[in-house]
Amino acid sequence: MNAQGQPGSDAGTAAGVGIEARDLTRRFGPHVALDRLSLQVPPNETFGLMGANGAGKTTFIRLVTGYLLPSEGSVTVGGFSPAANPREVKARLGYVMETSRLYPELRVQGFLRFMAGARGLSGGAVSASVDRVIEQFQLADVAKRLIGNLSKGFEQRVSLAQAFLHDPPLVIVDEPTGGLDPVQRGDVRAVLHELQGDRTVLLCTHDMDEARALTSNVAILNDGRLVAHGTTHDVLDRGDPLALFRPHGETAA
Amino acid sequence: MTELRALVRKEFACLFGSPTAYLTLTMIALVTALIFFDHLRIYNQILFLYSTTTMGGFDTGAIPDHINLWDRVFFPVMETLGLTLIGTIPLITMRVFAEEHARGTDELLISTHLTPSLVVLGKFLVTFLFVALVMIVSFLYPATAIEQGGLGVEHLAAVFVGLTLHGFAIAAIGLACSAYTSSQLIAAVSGWAVAFTLWDFSWANAFVSERTARFLEAIALHPRYGSFAEGIVDLDNIFYFVGIALVAMAIARFAFDLRRVGS
Repeated sequence: MNAQGQPGSDAGTAAGVGIEARDLTRRFGPHVALDRLSLQVPPNETFGLMGANGAGKTTFIRLVTGYLLPSEGSVTVGGFSPAANPREVKARLGYVMETSRLYPELRVQGFLRFMAGARGLSGGAVSASVDRVIEQFQLADVAKRLIGNLSKGFEQRVSLAQAFLHDPPLVIVDEPTGGLDPVQRGDVRAVLHELQGDRTVLLCTHDMDEARALTSNVAILNDGRLVAHGTTHDVLDRGDPLALFRPHGETAA
Repeated sequence: MTELRALVRKEFACLFGSPTAYLTLTMIALVTALIFFDHLRIYNQILFLYSTTTMGGFDTGAIPDHINLWDRVFFPVMETLGLTLIGTIPLITMRVFAEEHARGTDELLISTHLTPSLVVLGKFLVTFLFVALVMIVSFLYPATAIEQGGLGVEHLAAVFVGLTLHGFAIAAIGLACSAYTSSQLIAAVSGWAVAFTLWDFSWANAFVSERTARFLEAIALHPRYGSFAEGIVDLDNIFYFVGIALVAMAIARFAFDLRRVGS
């Protein structure tokens, strides 16, 4: 790994794309959102990043996507630094944000065409990739509808679809089922399950059932620090996993 | 360029996907028409008074030089239009960045190949194109004075360029304000506040030194705009308006960095 953005040691260029963070720290004023986090997300697996609200999950994701810059330490995606080589990182990365972070005034197809263009696709590749994700995420019936008129479940499908337009080897999914009803949650989980395979998925969630169903390894953040890291079974099914989520010093009632 | 083209298309779709753009265009067209026809009515009344005074019908020889279509209609309309644009353009620019921040979609944009500089460039470009459209709509009525007022096409073109540059400057100020907040209301109010403050500093002449007064006049919008309205195309004035646009773009671009590294 190196902070200059050159391909580093983590597996990521030939056999999939991984994420590697070293002593990654992010401060917002006096508040330390992420505290010397060292974490390796191996290529080609679905990795769960867990923690209570405010634990630092979204901050970590924003550092990986390059939206935020680290205060200290470094993070690389496939060996590239998001700060020094944003284009290399963005080419390898699809990002699914929490629900409702879309453009309600755009139609589904128009939005996907925009995102394909924004990801550097042009000409026939735009139509081809948009058609592909519309079919893959079963959006044909709503392709001409305004995003603002969609149900939350379909909104989330659109959000997932845009992340796969350029067929990235790494997809980051932030709270994919937050705010969804049980049926919509089941639908989205089924879609995520289908997407597993030859790509790395970083699934950010505080839902333990979701992590058990979809991930092979998890890391748990608490108050910006890494408090547990291992196979999903080891971390979530032994002892009292809820204790890992509670703020320091707080005990179960 | 593919990314920029995609962003420009999306910005136009978002702009015309909300009623604000149509309302602003309609409002500006209505206000311009009302002001224009009101001044025209008063001008015609003055002409009528002169024609009755001469008792022999309409005698243009009896009309003083200062009673002409240019001074009585065109120039006052342009003056009012300058202020009208300050009142209306921030209604368009308020949403451009603030809405992205409020929705969190700016993060989505930055996760694509769009860089913060491209996002700022694309948004300024689309807003300027919309302002140019507003200018065409605003200019329709006053432009009818070209025949009757005896104005040359060159003079009219100078006025149009001045009006458009003035619109660009206000839009740039509004966009810079929008880049620093996720509240559209704050973006609009701060855009108005900055643009109205920059409009004219002549009121301050009595309170400041001569040197400060000269400086204030140099940064004020009104004297530059007024110069164009008189048909004078001065390179200094063009540089002034372009400078405002560039500074505003740099300020908006800096807002992205502030969010990325700031606390």
